[in-house]
Amino acid sequence: MSVTIDRPMVTSSGQALLRALALPVALLVVWQLWALTLPVDTRAPSPASTAEAFVRMSATGDLPLALLQSIGRVLSGFAIGLVLGTVLGTAMGTSPAFRRNIEPIVESFRPLAPMAILPIAILWFGTGTPAALSLVGYAAFFPMLLSTAQGVSRVDRKLVQAARTMGVSRLRIAAKVIFPAALPSMVLGARLSMGVAWTAIIAAELAVGAKSGGGASGGIGEMMFVFYSYSIDMNGIVVCMIVVGVVALLIDRLFRLAEHHLIPWRH
Amino acid sequence: MSAILAEPKLRLEGVTKEFPAPRTGVRTMAVSDFSLEISAGDFICIVGPSGCGKSTVMNMIAGLDKPSSGRIAIDGVPVTGPGADRGVMFQDYALFPWLTVRENIGFGLRNGTPGRGLSSKDLEDRIDRHVELVRLNGSENKYPHQVSGGMRQRIALARLLANGPDVLLMDEPLGALDAQTRLVLQEELLRIWGETEIREKRKTAVFITHDIAEAVFLADSVVVMSSHPGRIRRVLPIDLPRPRNEQIRADPRFAELHEEIWSLIRDEAYRATV
Repeated sequence: MSVTIDRPMVTSSGQALLRALALPVALLVVWQLWALTLPVDTRAPSPASTAEAFVRMSATGDLPLALLQSIGRVLSGFAIGLVLGTVLGTAMGTSPAFRRNIEPIVESFRPLAPMAILPIAILWFGTGTPAALSLVGYAAFFPMLLSTAQGVSRVDRKLVQAARTMGVSRLRIAAKVIFPAALPSMVLGARLSMGVAWTAIIAAELAVGAKSGGGASGGIGEMMFVFYSYSIDMNGIVVCMIVVGVVALLIDRLFRLAEHHLIPWRH
Repeated sequence: MSAILAEPKLRLEGVTKEFPAPRTGVRTMAVSDFSLEISAGDFICIVGPSGCGKSTVMNMIAGLDKPSSGRIAIDGVPVTGPGADRGVMFQDYALFPWLTVRENIGFGLRNGTPGRGLSSKDLEDRIDRHVELVRLNGSENKYPHQVSGGMRQRIALARLLANGPDVLLMDEPLGALDAQTRLVLQEELLRIWGETEIREKRKTAVFITHDIAEAVFLADSVVVMSSHPGRIRRVLPIDLPRPRNEQIRADPRFAELHEEIWSLIRDEAYRATV
């Protein structure tokens, strides 16, 4: 019985993959055909030349190294934002008085794009990893803070009351009722945080690369900056763009997978 | 000695509850001068029109709300807050959506005072017994949203009973169910409460409903409330024999009691609809 049910599922996921690939492949074909119509000495990248650049950059180890550097910074900055956002968000969600006091500050900083604090970050921390971390942490902090605060403040009061009538202590209610009830909101916040963290690191590395004249910061963003201002390598830039996009997609998929395990009752 | 014996299980003395309106601060009297004594083993139903403060009374007995004045005592001890000696079954069940059926039933035993001192084997056995009691075997590992309304109601009942409270407080627990399921569960509830046992083995139950027939079927006495402010209109002893079953609904005395209660709240019920 389970075999007959499993079979169509496998086929449909195969079909889904085909359907998901159809559009990107079609775009690549159009792009290649368009590139072929251009004069040979043009700098315009084509799928073939981009693929060639990708292989070359991977072989020298430059691309994997830059990627690892960027991912390492994102993860550390994200962790900082996650911890601060969770702690302050929980406080905001639990205490209306604390929320009233901190909300104006939060709301006046939130619209300030991470790039706008870059000058201060560079002046304070230089152009290395600490500056990048502070920027990523800043970006990741807000979505986590607001989602956690909302999740915690919207916990169904009846559930807390039910636990109290079963003689459950306040500390245990926090761990066994409020935390799981707020978890879906927090996981969503973490996913949004990771998205903006990844955006912020590329922007930060690009800008820090610009300031220091390249070479000082490292990472995918800096690599793009070098291709842009020194070697004028369009293929390299496109490779970086695609890698950034694919990594973002993979991160998002990882989060969805984690969501499945962390919030099984929602599926 | 005789004074101790005479002490009721649950005593409410001149209990009032006022709520200040959020903006104006004007105080509304939700419950006024509510006095009632309930003996151990009694099944009490509270009926009355919507907004008469039934749930407020229950929340105060549970210790989730404090009376504005008056006192509430269990076995002569004043109620100061919630405690596992008084189990509550909420109107919307208040099940934990992230826990399975079995984990919901065992929540109080694992996290609260009722499970204190139990070995893990005793604890599992007790959960098993309550899963069986409400016939939820086979659905133990499902989440609440995956089971029917009738089953959710039984999870809440099993969770309530697994904690072994002396007093059962139930706020319209059968309200969300269809008529057939409701009738079946009313009989089941009486069985679980201990209708076939001797009086000493029964629990003390306070059951809120707006269904008069349900109140007559279940109760030893029915407390009829009126609203604005919520107060006791009359306490009616239900002199129908136990154990009760479907046939009792056809008893002329059943109809009489039903009519008597209805006549007490009819005017207010009509006024509320027009």
